[in-house]
Amino acid sequence: MSLRAFAECWNQFFFQPKSPLPIASFRILYGILVIANLLLLWPDWLAWFGVHAWMSLSTMYKVEPGIRLNLFTVIPQNDRWSEAIFWVGLIWAAFVAIGFLTRLSSIATFLCLASINERNLFAFHAGDTFLRIAGFFLIFAPAGAALSVDRILRVRKGREGLEIASRSPWAQRMIQLQLSFVYFFAFWWKSMGAPWVNGTALYYLNHLDEIHRLPIPGLFQSPIFTKVGSWLTLALEFSLGVLIWFKELRYPLLIAGVLFHLTLEYALNVPMFQWEMISAYVLFVDPADLERAGRWTRARTAAISRIRFGASPSRV
Amino acid sequence: METPLIAEFKGLIRPYMFWSGLFQGWDMFAPEPRSVNAYVEAAVIYKDGRIHNWKFPRMEQLGLTERYYRERYRKYVENLQVDSNAALWPDAARRIARLNEEDPSNPPAIVMLIRYWSDIVPRPDGSYRPEPSRARIFFEYNVKPEDLK
Repeated sequence: MSLRAFAECWNQFFFQPKSPLPIASFRILYGILVIANLLLLWPDWLAWFGVHAWMSLSTMYKVEPGIRLNLFTVIPQNDRWSEAIFWVGLIWAAFVAIGFLTRLSSIATFLCLASINERNLFAFHAGDTFLRIAGFFLIFAPAGAALSVDRILRVRKGREGLEIASRSPWAQRMIQLQLSFVYFFAFWWKSMGAPWVNGTALYYLNHLDEIHRLPIPGLFQSPIFTKVGSWLTLALEFSLGVLIWFKELRYPLLIAGVLFHLTLEYALNVPMFQWEMISAYVLFVDPADLERAGRWTRARTAAISRIRFGASPSRV
Repeated sequence: METPLIAEFKGLIRPYMFWSGLFQGWDMFAPEPRSVNAYVEAAVIYKDGRIHNWKFPRMEQLGLTERYYRERYRKYVENLQVDSNAALWPDAARRIARLNEEDPSNPPAIVMLIRYWSDIVPRPDGSYRPEPSRARIFFEYNVKPEDLK
């Protein structure tokens, strides 16, 4: 491949205008997931972010010195202000979900997520990390170009036509690449551990009391299933990290990935992680398929409404 | 694969990744999943010598709903018991003292953090037998009056 051809491929991949439907769909899911995360944190909010939290701000500085994107360091040090960050984060995340003041709300939501992560690095898992990084790239994406209040307002004011214009997808590509990195490096790290290679890894996970959610049937705990399951995990994480970029393999891999995460959601108690990963799959769906799915959903909703209300005597 | 070049590069970009909120690590259950069931409890010794055993929420002892929103404790306790995170121990002890202050005339005087653990040992037939549990006091904190304010 010549350098010129490489540059063309690069530009095409990152900058050739594409439909913003996938990134707009992801924005909705991202907003909902941030809201869910904040609500799950709320019962113990002050235990993690209050003045007398499990880890003080001064300890946090000591453990991880340096400048941080952390709103908790600039607010007055009392619990009311700490709670205010929760409410502000919740409101902006709701704005992200509905696509209102999309750019601004994406920035505010990312700041909130970064702050709660930076305030207590020791209570957050990989799902929080993915959400935070995806939120960073969402700031630069045309996430409000479709399926948003912003767009409705623009169309009403005559600033935009009814047809959704294509946009540069580079920020969407960055989130896609980030998702690939997650899977590839998860595979990479696992491939360096003997239990994953010799097939005993799932035995440990099956008997790690603190991580269990629902009971795993005995059959799936047998040595053969443990081995096959450990190796399948490696194969799937590698495939989702690398092979997902091949169009022909994409949908089968996305389906396998959804099944994989739903299985983990059943077996392991790592709240929201699986949903956060699955949410980003929408970025790999062809916009034409998303439109088709949207039309099908609208037609079904209309049909159900007709059946439910159409023959109602009060409406006849 | 931590070559000197990769380590140098990581050291170079690390402050910027932290500053921008883009820091990340994807070693979930890797390179090896944890091979111990471990949890942390605290012994709170009051001024009059009475001892109270305080427990962090343990996921396996919670209902499904509570387990979902309290999972942060699992992650935190997983980190708390690691020696390299010793900087977290005084704050944890202080908070436990505050949580257990019932009578101002008889305040908590000492908080001890205790780690309990039991190894997970694979068996050829895939069966599981819990190994004997062991315990170690890994931190002792003398509570000061200002800690309870």
